[in-house]
Amino acid sequence: MIPEFGHLILIVHLVLSLLGGTLPLLVVYANYRSLEISIKKLSVTLFILITISFLSLIYSFLVDDFSVAYVAQNSNINLPVYYKFAATWGAHEGSLVLWILAMNAWLIGFIFFTHSKDKDFLATVFSISCQVIFAFSLFTLFTSNPFERILPIPPLNGADLNPSLQDFAFTVHPPLLYFGYSGLLIPFAIAVSAMLFKKDTREWASYSRPWTLLSCSFLTLGIALGSWWAYYELGWGGWWFWDPVENAAFVPWLLSVALFHSLITSQNRGVFGKWSILLSIFAFATSLLGTFLVRSGILTSVHAFALDPERGLFILAILAFFVIGSLLIYSITDFGHVEENKYELTSKEFGFLLNNLLLVVLAISILFGTIFPLIYEAFTGGKQISVGAPYFEIILFPFALALGLLQGVALYLSWGKSSSFSFLPRLFIESLSIFSLIILILFVLFDNLYLSSFATIFLASWILVGTLQITKKRNLSYWNFLRKRLAVTFAHAGMAILTIGVGVVSSYSLEKEIILSPGDSTEFSDQTINFQSIDDLLGPNYTSKSAVVSFEDGSELSNIVTEKRTYLPSGQITTEAGIQADLFKDLYVSIGDNLQSNIWSFKIQIKPFIRWIWLGALLIAIGSFLAGVKQFKRR
Amino acid sequence: MKECGKKNFLNILMNKLILFLLFIICSLQVSVEEGQVNFDKDAYPFTSETKESLFYSLLNELRCPKCQSSNLAGSNSPISNDLKREVYELVVEGKSSRQIKDHLVDRYGNFIIYNPPIEPATYALWFGPFILILLSALVIILVRKRII
Amino acid sequence: MKKIIDALPLVVFASLIIVLFSFLSDKDDQLETALIDSSFPDFNLGSLSDESRLLTKQDIIKLPALINVWATWCIACRVEHPFLMKLKEESILTIYGLNYKDNKLKALDLLERDGNPFEFSIYDFEGRLAIDLGVYGAPETFFIDKNGLIRERHVGVIDERVWEEKFSKYLNE
Repeated sequence: MIPEFGHLILIVHLVLSLLGGTLPLLVVYANYRSLEISIKKLSVTLFILITISFLSLIYSFLVDDFSVAYVAQNSNINLPVYYKFAATWGAHEGSLVLWILAMNAWLIGFIFFTHSKDKDFLATVFSISCQVIFAFSLFTLFTSNPFERILPIPPLNGADLNPSLQDFAFTVHPPLLYFGYSGLLIPFAIAVSAMLFKKDTREWASYSRPWTLLSCSFLTLGIALGSWWAYYELGWGGWWFWDPVENAAFVPWLLSVALFHSLITSQNRGVFGKWSILLSIFAFATSLLGTFLVRSGILTSVHAFALDPERGLFILAILAFFVIGSLLIYSITDFGHVEENKYELTSKEFGFLLNNLLLVVLAISILFGTIFPLIYEAFTGGKQISVGAPYFEIILFPFALALGLLQGVALYLSWGKSSSFSFLPRLFIESLSIFSLIILILFVLFDNLYLSSFATIFLASWILVGTLQITKKRNLSYWNFLRKRLAVTFAHAGMAILTIGVGVVSSYSLEKEIILSPGDSTEFSDQTINFQSIDDLLGPNYTSKSAVVSFEDGSELSNIVTEKRTYLPSGQITTEAGIQADLFKDLYVSIGDNLQSNIWSFKIQIKPFIRWIWLGALLIAIGSFLAGVKQFKRR
Repeated sequence: MKECGKKNFLNILMNKLILFLLFIICSLQVSVEEGQVNFDKDAYPFTSETKESLFYSLLNELRCPKCQSSNLAGSNSPISNDLKREVYELVVEGKSSRQIKDHLVDRYGNFIIYNPPIEPATYALWFGPFILILLSALVIILVRKRII
Repeated sequence: MKKIIDALPLVVFASLIIVLFSFLSDKDDQLETALIDSSFPDFNLGSLSDESRLLTKQDIIKLPALINVWATWCIACRVEHPFLMKLKEESILTIYGLNYKDNKLKALDLLERDGNPFEFSIYDFEGRLAIDLGVYGAPETFFIDKNGLIRERHVGVIDERVWEEKFSKYLNE
């Protein structure tokens, strides 16, 4: 009964979201004031409905109701309870419901926290958001209904959740990512309404900015968790693979970063209005486009979504309707009275413009590279090509370099025109000192220097010094100054730390495949590797070969456990890497094949500074979260 | 006065750092020399560190044709292991990175390398981003006040 | 002019949607073979049925022929086995087997039980010839024309339909 109830509630939600998507527009545009509804009440109702529907799906998982097809495909009697709960969003259907839930949550936030006297404008933003929510609900009910039953004979047991998803980070990563994607709905709806109402740029930018910052914060966390998960779960020590599913998240992230920088300018100076509108539309569009690429099956990707061209067609239709619709409005809107604030090439405005240019062209390039294999195949008559990490790294580098150099000077610039560039020599010298210090530390730690890492490390020092602005003359005391700019300091310093991490880990990593039987030892870098023992373990729903490998570098001994698990229901095998994590270096071992009776292959790696990547990402997320929250306080 | 003292200190620090840097760059030349490699437990034993690092970097650049969303380094499928062996043998023979990639492309097509070749059909891929950024930068500098 | 610039995002995005739509049609996920129109690679491997017999490229003499990559661990190979038997029984063309990373005894057992469609099977336990052929799974089938050139490859089960669509045209050349 519960699944039917959830299904029914989802249908009620569909109908109400259609009402929300149409009634307010009738009121505003046809002036049927008698139809006026409370958008606050409706948004709360919608949120409660989708939550109930989602809870009933969770319930179906928790009670092992395998007559529900989605539960049967993604759960199993022996799955630990926590994973049964998390399996709710472990595959396509459930993740869509979560997505809709997230959109509703953002909508409530917007309705309750936006203080505008223009009720018609708010009603229009609400209505456009409801239309998107309606489209997603329709999509869910017609192509991906999570409540579909297998009747009359339900299976006795489920097929199990994909073993590589049975992991803590992977239960938290999707919700964060979906909240990030779906948050971009609000700036989109605001941008479209702003065009319809010919809103003043400064005004609508101030409505949009907090939501863009918050979405960006969630996206950052979601992407970072995904990267961390890939690092320890896929077993080869990579933290970013430039897989379509990663690019699909990275592109909206880049655009959301571009967008909130553009919005800062729009809000403060009244310029870039049209540009901010386009960016709002495209940030939303790419969040949908990514979903399309990953779930339609047109690209091969690591993520195991059940692929279905019909679903792809539906997402493409949603995308076409909303994005082409809004771009149509854009092309016919007369933005008559654009504020004309003069800004010089040395101004802060121009700095933001360059930042946007670089981020947007980078986003376009990554998107293009992601779908290029399809284009190539179509144009060459079936010849195949792979576009992967080496390509994207080559493309990313000059962009990152330019962005980083810009980021270092960005906070020194002034609106309109920067009067003096006298900070440059000192910025340069101080960056050079920080750079030398880092190089020194690296040399002490790893007894080696790699020229290939110098550019990235200098860039990181440059960003760090530029962020902390030690050299700038000011009236405030330094700490007061930093406290006032806490958000931007966190975010930009996070970028610097991430950059150091990327630079060091890509040059200083070591890896080797070795073959050992228990008791054997070998040398690797300055470590003595010893294969201590291997045992059979029995997990709740898997059997495992669990190997203990010790690393000893003269002073410290660490025993690291790596496992090869065979999940019982599916027979699928996963490798659990063993990691001794440390701020300066990770010792990483993953078990390979059983070559002979007791002889095993292992992959051992040393990953210096890899933690800094996620630490940096965390700081960026905190920074953009603080910046978003600060926008509410300001009013 | 305070400002001046700070500057002085900075100068001294800088000089020391530069000296140290010169020193370690010199010593670096020595540490890169191929040392004694202990490889009796290696799955892929090499006699030189250059070859070893070529081998492992190739594994990261080659795509597993069976699993398709993983490189050879990240895959334990039988075909990956065969290909690793093939790459290993070619590296030991002293083949260059280019030769090894060509060898595999001759058999598996360009699909197997993650770095697409530069040829007329991929000009858009390789040069597009840079042309786009130059063009748009030009446009924006020229007409920035009118369109934005 | 201004109107044209304002309509530009619309035009670009609409074309992207059209391009993506065209990609949606069901995709053939087979890898192309890089070996089209090149001659069959050299090899030096034992025969499945007779360990002492060394096979080389010169042993593939009855052309045109199919080279079929098979193994007992490959379920799909059993599905296509009857079709291969039919090709042999109707003497349509010669089929050479490439036994891929398999257990020799099991492989011989299977041929004993279900019939042997192959002129002979090359025993490639280490997957050496397979790499030279660009094989990435089993079953795979290659067509070698009368000049010894590889003309076509099919990955997956070969049946009547695949034969008609992909291979039969080369036979009538």
